[in-house]
Amino acid sequence: MSYKKSLKVALAISLTLTIVMIPVLSSGCAVSSSEDNTVNKVKVGFSICYTGVAAEKGRPMGNAKLDCMKYINEELGGVAGHQIEVVWRDNEYDAAKAVTILNELMDKGCLFFTTNSSKMMGASMEIANRADFPGFTVFSSPVCTHPPQHIYAQTPDYGDDWAAFATNYLENIWQGEGKPRMAMHLLSNPTGYGALDASKALADELGIEILPVAEHTATTISEMESLTRIKALNPDVLFISSTPQPTSIIIQNAVDLGMYPGITIGCAHASFTKKLIDFAGADAEGVYGTFPTVRWGEDVPAMAKMTEYCQQYHPDDYGNMDYITSWAEGLIVAEILRLAIENVGVDNLTPQAVEEYGIKKLSNFDVGSLQGPVSYTPGDNRLTKFNRIYQIVNGEITNPSAWVEAPLIKYEDFDWFGK
Amino acid sequence: MDLPTGTRNYNYAHDMAIFRTRTHWIWLSVLLAFLFTGPLYWGNYWLGVANLIGITIIAATGLNILTGYCGQLSIGHAGFIAVGAYTSAVLTNRFELPFIVGLISAGFIAGLAGMIFGIPSLRVKGFYLAISTIAAQFIIIWVINHWASATGGFTGISVPPASVGGISFISQGSQFYLIMGIVILVIFLAKNLARTRPGRAFVAIRDNDLAAQVMGINLFHYKLIAFFIGCFLAGIAGSLLAHWTGFMNAENFTMMDSILYIGMIIIGGLGTTVGPIFGAISIRMLQQAITLISPNLESVFPTLPAGFTTGIGPMVFGLVIILFLILEPRGLAHRWTLLRTSYRLWPF
Repeated sequence: MSYKKSLKVALAISLTLTIVMIPVLSSGCAVSSSEDNTVNKVKVGFSICYTGVAAEKGRPMGNAKLDCMKYINEELGGVAGHQIEVVWRDNEYDAAKAVTILNELMDKGCLFFTTNSSKMMGASMEIANRADFPGFTVFSSPVCTHPPQHIYAQTPDYGDDWAAFATNYLENIWQGEGKPRMAMHLLSNPTGYGALDASKALADELGIEILPVAEHTATTISEMESLTRIKALNPDVLFISSTPQPTSIIIQNAVDLGMYPGITIGCAHASFTKKLIDFAGADAEGVYGTFPTVRWGEDVPAMAKMTEYCQQYHPDDYGNMDYITSWAEGLIVAEILRLAIENVGVDNLTPQAVEEYGIKKLSNFDVGSLQGPVSYTPGDNRLTKFNRIYQIVNGEITNPSAWVEAPLIKYEDFDWFGK
Repeated sequence: MDLPTGTRNYNYAHDMAIFRTRTHWIWLSVLLAFLFTGPLYWGNYWLGVANLIGITIIAATGLNILTGYCGQLSIGHAGFIAVGAYTSAVLTNRFELPFIVGLISAGFIAGLAGMIFGIPSLRVKGFYLAISTIAAQFIIIWVINHWASATGGFTGISVPPASVGGISFISQGSQFYLIMGIVILVIFLAKNLARTRPGRAFVAIRDNDLAAQVMGINLFHYKLIAFFIGCFLAGIAGSLLAHWTGFMNAENFTMMDSILYIGMIIIGGLGTTVGPIFGAISIRMLQQAITLISPNLESVFPTLPAGFTTGIGPMVFGLVIILFLILEPRGLAHRWTLLRTSYRLWPF
């Protein structure tokens, strides 16, 4: 046999052996990971939009939840004496990546997962639902939780924003006769159109006339044309459901066109942060917005520790209410794990057990008063149902209303709602 | 085909064989054994990555036929993938048709859409054609978003798991077999297409369209065929993507994805069958590597603030693509050819 032929045979045998050995080696790895579980760490997975087009929101939220986990593990000693092991990945706001990350989180033995955008949850939810793998999202659109399966929403969804704002507008702001005429400027994705779903379901009942809807993209640089059309319709109120940068452009364009002040402008919570004021400046004065948490500096129990961590590790995020939302998310993650450990014991934790005995056992959990109480209600996968209405005054988000409860809208009962 | 010294083709079948020697067959068997035993030892994560790579290979192969072989630059490929994804989603969800009907229809509808947007290719080429295909990207996504009664609009649409003959492809492992089966079929068809009359016409059009026309090649006819085949494969990839993800939203098909596909076929090697395979594997694995590196780096430097590594991804990704284009513009397929040649000539 020639040297070259021997080499080929040797290579073929080596490859065959490698293929045969890989399952054995892999099973070896599996043993070691189950041994990890015996040291009683509890794993959770975070799919974070740290980079990509949603990074302006994803980054502070990612920072907050990782800071909160650090606080829980280092200062509180974990949950019920068990450290929380965080597996986090940057999904880059990319749907395909979100799917592979979800698979990885399931593989790594995470008990549940969270993400912080409706798009990322939309990309992940079907696979998670099929695998009975629970998760919740901080910012959600109605499609994430309707019909309710294994995906939950930490805060009220974009539809609830519209409902809360509309209710508050009719009760406290609208002074005219008859039905107010509402224009809507929506981001061309579920963030925007979640609000439209709620208006379709509730506008007639509340007594609001919805004008033809305008839409914009996340990268818009001017909305003069769409606002000119809206101005011609003579609206009383403009509702914007979007992210901070496009919202700031719409507000600035409305000022340039002389529409605002003169009408009321309300924003959904995805855009109503310090970033909006940074981008829009003085033009944002008087704008209303909904948000599901308290403001920075309010006298609530969890504020001091959150502020300490934020200023120590991410001072740039101070003042950004997205940080508050995800710090609260961290506390809710810990509470879910605490309930599950208390109910079934750490050795019996599975994703299904965590959903049944953790998430579904949440009852009026006070998140250091950072947001409304957290409860699971059968048939309603929104863990918090409360929003506040704020107003921008002197460059600050201020004048908070009382917590406004957003009623459950059974979207799945409407023919027009996505199948 | 390059053959070892002493191996000769004595008949037409020999000349046309893709796998000509025993060594070829052994390598193929090893590769197939490795692939099809994969679900036994890969976890869900790696199977998911493999499925994504498989879908990407199908789409990139389509673009390679259109751009690499026929020279028609398309920057709207993600739009055509979206056509396939939504065709399959609508047919299997709204009309409850079988997956196989959705899959084939996805290919045909995307192919037809490709032909429509390929019509300008008779008059324009190069950057001008690229601009017209960008229009396809925006028009298709706009239609999907605003045809809400069928597509679910901005809300999106759920897609049932793929199912053939009573077998449901729900787990990543079962989907792996489905996707890899189609990938192998597509690669086989692409390899053979390059050796057919249309394949040679594509290359002639790419190299010099005037000379091709003088030789009697109907430019419009073959350019439209290239658009149809390229977009047909994009549609097939879209259908598989829809059933793999389980939920579709038009936001999943961005302009950046279209550019990424062009990057893949350039890195892999334009106008080669293996180019899209190498390109898809390289780009997708690079994405995964970057995703995995960030948290690990953070655990190495626990005293630094959380999230400090997140800028690494975009920087590394851009750097690798730039370096690649400078150092190996003919793509990984060329490296592969050099490797095979050196193996055959070794130790000389």
